[in-house]
Amino acid sequence: MGLKKLRTTMLAGGMSVLATGAVAQTLELATDLSPAGLDPHIATAFATHQVTTGLLYEGLTGVDQDLSIVPVLAESWSVSPDGLTYTFKLREGVTFHDGSAMDAEDVVASIERVQSQDIASPLASRVSAVESATAVDPRTVELKLKEPSAPLLSSLTSIAIVPSEAKADKEALQKAPVGTGPFRFQEWQPNGYLLLAGNEDYWQEGVPKVDALKFNFVPESATRQVGLVNGQYQMLPHLDAATALQLQGQPGVKLEETLDLAYILVGMNASKPPFDDPKVREAVNYAINRDDIVQAALFGAGVPAGPLSPALKQWALDVSEYPCYEHDPAKARALLEEAGVQMPVKVTMNVLPRQDIRDVAQVVQAQLNDAGFAVELNNQEQGQFVQDWRNSNFDMFASLNAGSVDPDEYFYRAFRTDGSTNVFKYSNPELDALLDKGRSTQDQAARKEIYDQVQRTLACSGPAAHIAYSRLATATRDEVQGYDILATRSLGTLADTSVGR
Amino acid sequence: MLGRLVLARILDLALVLFGVSVIVFLMIRMIPGDAVAIMLGANAEVTPEAMAELRGRLGLDRPLVEQYLVWAGSALQGDLGSSVWTGRPVADEILLHLWPTLELTVLSLAIGAGLAVPVGCLMAQLRGRGADVAMRVGAIAGLTIPSFWLGIVMILLLAKLAPGFASLGYVPFSTDPIGNLQRMVLPTIALALPILANLSRLVRTAMLDALGQDYIRTARAKGAPERLVVYRHALRNALIPFVTSVGILTGYLLGGAIVVEQVFAIPGLGRLILGAIAERNYPLVQATILVVTLGFVLVNFMVDLLYGLIDPRVRG
Amino acid sequence: MKTLRQHPLLAFALAFVALQVFVAVGAEWIAPYGPLEQDIVARLKGPSAAHPLGTDQLGRDVLSRILHGYRTSLAACVVAVALALLAGGTIGLLAAYRRGWFERVSMRLMDVLFAFPVMLLAIGIIAVLGPHTTSAAVAIAVVYTPIFARLLRGPALVICESEYVTGARAVGASDTRILFRHVLPNLASVILVQTSLLLSTAILVEASLSFLGLGTQPPTPSLGLMLSEGRNFLLLSPWSAVFAGFAILFLSFGFNLLGDTLRDTLDPRLRGQE
Repeated sequence: MGLKKLRTTMLAGGMSVLATGAVAQTLELATDLSPAGLDPHIATAFATHQVTTGLLYEGLTGVDQDLSIVPVLAESWSVSPDGLTYTFKLREGVTFHDGSAMDAEDVVASIERVQSQDIASPLASRVSAVESATAVDPRTVELKLKEPSAPLLSSLTSIAIVPSEAKADKEALQKAPVGTGPFRFQEWQPNGYLLLAGNEDYWQEGVPKVDALKFNFVPESATRQVGLVNGQYQMLPHLDAATALQLQGQPGVKLEETLDLAYILVGMNASKPPFDDPKVREAVNYAINRDDIVQAALFGAGVPAGPLSPALKQWALDVSEYPCYEHDPAKARALLEEAGVQMPVKVTMNVLPRQDIRDVAQVVQAQLNDAGFAVELNNQEQGQFVQDWRNSNFDMFASLNAGSVDPDEYFYRAFRTDGSTNVFKYSNPELDALLDKGRSTQDQAARKEIYDQVQRTLACSGPAAHIAYSRLATATRDEVQGYDILATRSLGTLADTSVGR
Repeated sequence: MLGRLVLARILDLALVLFGVSVIVFLMIRMIPGDAVAIMLGANAEVTPEAMAELRGRLGLDRPLVEQYLVWAGSALQGDLGSSVWTGRPVADEILLHLWPTLELTVLSLAIGAGLAVPVGCLMAQLRGRGADVAMRVGAIAGLTIPSFWLGIVMILLLAKLAPGFASLGYVPFSTDPIGNLQRMVLPTIALALPILANLSRLVRTAMLDALGQDYIRTARAKGAPERLVVYRHALRNALIPFVTSVGILTGYLLGGAIVVEQVFAIPGLGRLILGAIAERNYPLVQATILVVTLGFVLVNFMVDLLYGLIDPRVRG
Repeated sequence: MKTLRQHPLLAFALAFVALQVFVAVGAEWIAPYGPLEQDIVARLKGPSAAHPLGTDQLGRDVLSRILHGYRTSLAACVVAVALALLAGGTIGLLAAYRRGWFERVSMRLMDVLFAFPVMLLAIGIIAVLGPHTTSAAVAIAVVYTPIFARLLRGPALVICESEYVTGARAVGASDTRILFRHVLPNLASVILVQTSLLLSTAILVEASLSFLGLGTQPPTPSLGLMLSEGRNFLLLSPWSAVFAGFAILFLSFGFNLLGDTLRDTLDPRLRGQE
C-alpha cells in the first residue's frame, strides 16, 4: 500500500493531522436516495435532480439564492414587445465534459429533445409554449412561442443543455452523463456511491474549489448522522426538521438553513363525496391547527403554509389573510352540518412514506378526528402511493411536493381543469380564467394581482390544504466552507465550496 | 450408487428451480404500483403515451405466458436482461453487488463457525454447572438478538468511543484492504453472533452425545489423554449436524445481510433487491431473487451431497 | 408440577413467556397511557416518574406503546405461525399418511417454497400485498408452511409405518380417526417444541420487516415499528429504539428458551436437531 493510499485512508477516518496540499480534496456527502438514472430530461425524480442540476448540467437560466432568475449558459436575452420571441445570447468558451464546444445547435437540440415524443420527457410541458427553436448563429438562439408565456425564463432553469449528439439517444446519458457543469461524471456504483470529479475546463474561473464530490448512498438516517458526527461524511444535504434538530450542537457540525420551497399538503379528491363539497374542504382547514403541526411534527422548524411559500417574497400572501387558518373545530363541525354529511365523516388518508410526513399525518388525523371526521391512515409504500396519487385513487393524501419558482408553474398544472398534475380533479372555471390570464400577462404588478386572487381562492376551499413549509437544513462539518443552501434543493453552490482545515 | 443419487438430486434441483422461476416471475407482476410512474417521479407529468411507450419497451403489454417464456428462455442462455433505468446488463449489476454480500456472509460464517468449536467444547466441559446454564441462556440470547438493532447500537457506541473509526460503507478489499476490513468489523459481528450461538449449541450437544458413547469410553479407558479423545472422536461426530446447519444458516445470513447492509450502508445484494423493488425494476428484481435463490439452493445441494459423503448411512 | 421443579430452566421460560403474553393481553389495563395519546411538550424525554421508559417523537409514552406493541407483534406472529402449522401440518401429515402422488406433488411444492431464503420470500410477498401487519403475518405464514410440512412429515412417516397404525388400518378404522386419535397425539411434543422455536424466529422476522417499513404501519404500535421510528431520533433520544429492541429480544428469547427446554424435557433424543 502506497503512502498516498494510507494518507487517504487516514483522512477518511477523520484524522486530518497529515493534511498537505498534495492530497486530492474530496467532499464526502451522504444521502439516502440513489438516483434511478442520470439523464436530466428522463429521470427527474428528486434523487437525480439533486446530483445533476447545477453540478453536472446547467440550463440557459438558473435560480440564485433569492429565487430570482439569473443568466447561466445564456449571457443575456431580449424579449420582443409582443412577448412571442425570445433571443438568447450564449456564453462564450463553454465546453461539454467530452471536450466539444457548447453552441446554439446544442441548445436547440436540447429543447427539441425535451419536446420529442420519443424521449417522452416529463419536463415536456415546461417548454410546450415553445413553437420553434432556431440557431441564428453559433452563439444566438431564438425561441418563437405559440402564445406569450410569462414563466418561460423560470421554466428554462430546469431544461439542462446536453450535447446535440444525445438528441435521439435514451440510454447514453442515463449511464454516463455529459453536461457543462462544474463537475464531470467519474464513477457510479449503484447503491454505493456516485463520484463526480471537478471540471478543470469549467467556464467560470477558479471554480470548482474541491477536486471531487462523492455522494455516498446511505439508507439509514441514524447511520448518516453518526457518519457525519464521526467525520466520515462531511455533508448531509437537505435534512428534515427532526434530523437537523439532532445534529444541532453536535461537536464539529454546523447547519445551513433556509425556508423550503417544497410544501407539505393534505390533498383532497374533489371528484367524489365528501370532498366534492367546498364546505367540507373548508371544514378541513378550520379543523387543522397548523401551528401545532409545525410544533409537533416539524419540531418548530417551519411555518404554516399558504398556497405559496413565503420564500417567494414577491408573490406570497401572508397566511393571516386567510380566515380559515384560524383553528376552530366548532366552526368545522358547523360547516360539516351545513354540508349535510353524516358525521363522523369517514375518510382514508394515503400517506407518503417519509418520517416527517408520517408524523404530520398522525397529528392531522388526531386534529380532524376532534372536529367531526373519522380519518383512517393508509401508510403506503412509495410506488403504491405514487400510483394511487396519479390515478386520483384517494379520499385524502398527505404528501410533500416540490415547489416552483414561478406561481404559474405550480398553480397551472395542479389546479387548472385538466392540469397535468391536477390529481384532485378540481375544476373551477373562475380559477381557470385567472390562471390563463396570469400566464399571458407580462406586467409584474398585474400578474401579482391575479395570483393574489388565485391564492385567496385556493387557500380555504381549494382541493389542497397547504400545511407547512419546513425549514430546510444542510448539515456540514466545520471545515466545509462557502456552501449556501438553496430552497430549490439544487446543490449548485457546491462549486464554490471548499474544505478548509 | 452414489452417481444415481446425484442424478436424482439434480433432477429435483431442476424441478425446484423451475418452480422458483415461476413464482418469482408471477410475484413481480402482481406487485401494485407502476414502474413507469416511479421512474418519472412524483412531481413529473406523465402522458398516457409515454407510459404506453415504456410499457411496450419492457414487454409488459404482451400476454403473461409469452413474457415468461421470453424471460426464462433468455435467462437460460445467460441473458438476464438489462436494468430498466441504467440500461446496464442485470448480470453486471448483480456482480457489482455480489462481492460485498459474499464477503460479509463468508466472513460471518467463518468467524461464527470458527469460534463455535472452542466455545461449544467449553460448554460441553462445563456441563451441569452454573456456567453451563449461563452459557446456554447466553447462546439463546445471542440467537434471538435482532441483528439490525445490535448493528445500530454498535454504531452509536463506536461513534461515542472511537469517533475517528470509519465503520460505514464499503471499499473493495483490492483497493484498500485496511479500510475494507475496518468497515467489515461491525456488520460481521452483528451477523456472526447468532451463528456462533447456533453452532456452539450444536457442538455442545454433539460433544455430549459423543462423550457418552461406548467408543469414547473405551478410548478413555485405554488411557488416551482427555483432550485428544474429545477432539478426535467427538468432533467428527459433531460434524454432521454442523454441516447440515450451514445450509440453513446460509439462508439466515442472506436474510440478515439484507437488513444489516441497510444499517451499515453496504452496497450488497440486499440493497440491490430493496432498491429494485422500490423502483419497480422488474428485470433486476426477478434476476436478483432468482440468482440469490439459486445460490441458496446450490449451497443446500452441496450440503446434501457432502452429508452423503460424511455419513455413510445416508447412501444406503 | 414435579416436572417443573426438576427443570427450573423450563419453569423460568414458561413464567417468562406467560408474563409477556399476560402484559400483551392486558395492555389496555396495565398501560399507564393510551398508545396514541400525544403530548408534544413532553416528547423525546428519557425515563422519568411520569414516563418510566420515556416518550417518543410525538410525546407518546414508550412503556404504553411497548405494552400495546407486544400485543400487535404477538398477535401477528401467533396467527402467522398457527396458520403455517395448520397448512404445513396438514400437508406434512397427509403426505406421510397418503403417500403416492399426493406426497410427491405437495412435497415438491413445499420444496419450491423452501428453496427461497426466508426474508427474501417474505419481502416478495409483502411487495405484492402492500405493507401492513396482515401482509407481514401472511408472509410469515407462507414462509413457515413448508418448514412445518417438512418437519412433521418425517416423524409422521415413522408413526404411520408403525404396527400400531397399520394395525388400526387393518381393522378398518376411519382415516380421520387414525389421524386424530393415533398419529396426531404422538406428534404433540414435536409440534409443541417446533411451534415455540418458530414463534421465536417469527418475532424476529416480523420485527425485521417492520424495521424495513414493510410490516405494521403507524400509528399502530408494534415493536419493530417503534424501533424503526425511534432510530430516526437515536442521537437525541435513543430510549424508544433501545427499549423496543429489548422488548423484541425478550419476546423472542422467551419462546426460544421455552422451545429449547421443552425439547430437553419432552424428548431428549430430539436434542441437537435444529
